[in-house]
Amino acid sequence: MQSQPAATREMSYAEAIRDALDLAMAADHTVILMGEDIGVYGGAFQVTGDLIHKYGPDRVMDTPIAELGGAGVAVGAALTGLKPIYEFQFSDFATLAMEQIVNQAAKLRYMLGGAVCVPVVFRMPAGSGTGAAAQHSQSLEAWFGHVPGLKVVQPSTPHDAKGLLLAALADPDPVLIFEHKLLYKLRGPVTEGHFTIPIGTAEVRRAGRDVTIVATSIMVHKSLEAADILAAEGVEVEVIDLRSIRPIDRGAVLASVRKTGRLICVHEAVKTLGIGAEISAMVAESDAFDYLDAPILRLGGAETPIPYNPLLEAAVVPQVHDILRAVRDLVAGRA
Amino acid sequence: MPVEVIMPKVDMDMATGRIARWHVADGGRVEKNAALFDIETDKATMEVEAPAAGRLHHIRAATGEDIPVGQPVAWLYADGEPLGPAPALAPRAPASVAPSAADPAPATAPSPGRVRTAPVPVTPVPVAPDPVAPDPVAPDRTEPAPTRPAVRATPLARRLARERALDLGTVKGSSLRGRVTRSDVEAALLRTPPPSASPAEGELALTRAGNGDRTPILLLHGFAADSAGWAMLEGLLPPGHPVLKLDLPAHGRSPRQPVASFADLAQCARRAIDGLGDGPLHLVGHSLGGAVAIALADTRPRRVASLTLIAPAGLGPEIDAAVLAGIARASRVESLAPWLRRLAADPDLITDAYARAAMAARQNLTLREAQSAMAADLFPDGTQGFDLTAALHRIRAPTRIAWGRDDAIIPWRHALRAPGRVGLHLFESTGHLPHIERPHEIAMLVMEMTQLRAASD
Repeated sequence: MQSQPAATREMSYAEAIRDALDLAMAADHTVILMGEDIGVYGGAFQVTGDLIHKYGPDRVMDTPIAELGGAGVAVGAALTGLKPIYEFQFSDFATLAMEQIVNQAAKLRYMLGGAVCVPVVFRMPAGSGTGAAAQHSQSLEAWFGHVPGLKVVQPSTPHDAKGLLLAALADPDPVLIFEHKLLYKLRGPVTEGHFTIPIGTAEVRRAGRDVTIVATSIMVHKSLEAADILAAEGVEVEVIDLRSIRPIDRGAVLASVRKTGRLICVHEAVKTLGIGAEISAMVAESDAFDYLDAPILRLGGAETPIPYNPLLEAAVVPQVHDILRAVRDLVAGRA
Repeated sequence: MPVEVIMPKVDMDMATGRIARWHVADGGRVEKNAALFDIETDKATMEVEAPAAGRLHHIRAATGEDIPVGQPVAWLYADGEPLGPAPALAPRAPASVAPSAADPAPATAPSPGRVRTAPVPVTPVPVAPDPVAPDPVAPDRTEPAPTRPAVRATPLARRLARERALDLGTVKGSSLRGRVTRSDVEAALLRTPPPSASPAEGELALTRAGNGDRTPILLLHGFAADSAGWAMLEGLLPPGHPVLKLDLPAHGRSPRQPVASFADLAQCARRAIDGLGDGPLHLVGHSLGGAVAIALADTRPRRVASLTLIAPAGLGPEIDAAVLAGIARASRVESLAPWLRRLAADPDLITDAYARAAMAARQNLTLREAQSAMAADLFPDGTQGFDLTAALHRIRAPTRIAWGRDDAIIPWRHALRAPGRVGLHLFESTGHLPHIERPHEIAMLVMEMTQLRAASD
């Protein structure tokens, strides 16, 4: 962190994001907000709230239901010197804007030999658990993590949401910030004032000697809950909050695996071809391989769209009991 | 008919033997009762004498090979008897009733070091082609030996084995599909301590056997014994539990420094189990080891899943200290055997061979002196100088006491000082060694303790 005033204030994840937006807009008149219903309505998840009243419709712009157009305007604004923050109502709709994100924002600085940069931020409400069904519940972060030229972060706490958003604004390149919808109401202490959390740094949320869990977003909390239960059984789990999936904090993951010898990757996104696969391969290719004392396990979403039925919706993504079973199997040599 | 030479049972708990050296070469002549070969057991090396005069042929046992007790290792041909083909090891009806290999040597003719000539039913085992009569038409065996199946091991286990020059092929894997993990390698390294380790310093010797992910069973031997004394019980213990055998200070392979008090002894044992991590253990302790087990359960309650106490010390003042002192100081078989025979209800259980093996394990003067000093300090004036009754009352782990009604060393009535929640098992016609005299029943008790624990988990 560049500067960290000691004072903290308890607020929700959504409030922490609004706090970051407010701070950035107050400090820098080139920062603008764009998105559907972010003005008077306050945003689909009430994140932008009343910012339109403070900064006016020129800086808090409602855009039509046309993500490709909205994202295109944002990329263009970034090319011409503004710092736009474009909010997708649901990150699922970023599929409509892939051309602008993947082919334009991610490539222009490279293709123009560094003559321009694209300091755009895309806010991506993501994840299941809200009963919003197959087209409004996906976790598509790995899609974007696959594209050189983009940065992708997944804050799991209110403090990180603010610090990573401010870091994204300070970054000269396009950054996508995936916000799990179930976390918006999560409360926690947030440092007051301006600070950033460097993109590409993981955080050890709990230290342990027996098993490393590398988790993202809401799975950090499920892993911590499992770790509490396992500690009572004498199994000490180290929980790493990856926070940034592009770039990945390789050093933090490898150091932990060297310590524990056992690795489980947990994410909500579909397991196949996911971030867990990337982490696993990264370890297997490194010197930490020689410290592995068990197979690497991955927990991720099932091979299905997110169902509407709430029981099925919960069943297709990793839950605490899945994590418990995986750790117990791993420690007992049953995996 | 040539006379069969078998692998004799020279030690009470011996299942296999290894020939360290043949004194007579194949085809050589030997007189009756002359030294034929040397047997190496866990405890000692012993000479085996020829059961008859004649020429030695068809040697089937290479030196260093483990041979089951009772299996023929060669044949002796009388002078003038024509050399026949190598006798087959195929199953056959015994020509006469022979003592089972598992029986102790007959009390009427206690000559366990001698080779029995009566045929003994043996399980046929594949043997190498007879070196005396090679088949001239057999093809030259130049094809490569079948390669050993690849070892399944974690990267960490492989690295540790590489760094410590351990052959992973010798390590049994406890994880899924027999995968060798770090704990398996560490256990194997414990079993084979570096030869440079000085017996005078360092930690207590711990032997690990068996695999599995269930709660380990820790065996604590009695005074003047060592972990080899558990051999009979060990094979009968429930599967899935690793078995750990601790050598007490100045015993077995542990440092040969005496401990001056029971508190010091308990502390050494405590350090040893602290070094085993923090998982629970089923404790089985005999005599002095039983007292140590009580002390461990009292001071490390969370480490102890259950307690099986076999004729434990520490529950009363009486003890036959003369036996302990006699065993500790004995420097020859003749002075050791009479004391050993006091231990069992049936003195014939302690055969000459057993006494010789026990003496062989006590050859080291430092060890004997250290044990004598311990006997004097722990049992001054023929009295148990420590009392664990209060500790036993504090313990919450499931506990059972097994005692022989004919125990001549520590009276079984000491068990009556245990609290009511402790189960008591009294065995008739049993002395101070229930785990050797009644191994099946003691193993059953231990198994029940492990199941109790599993049910409460």
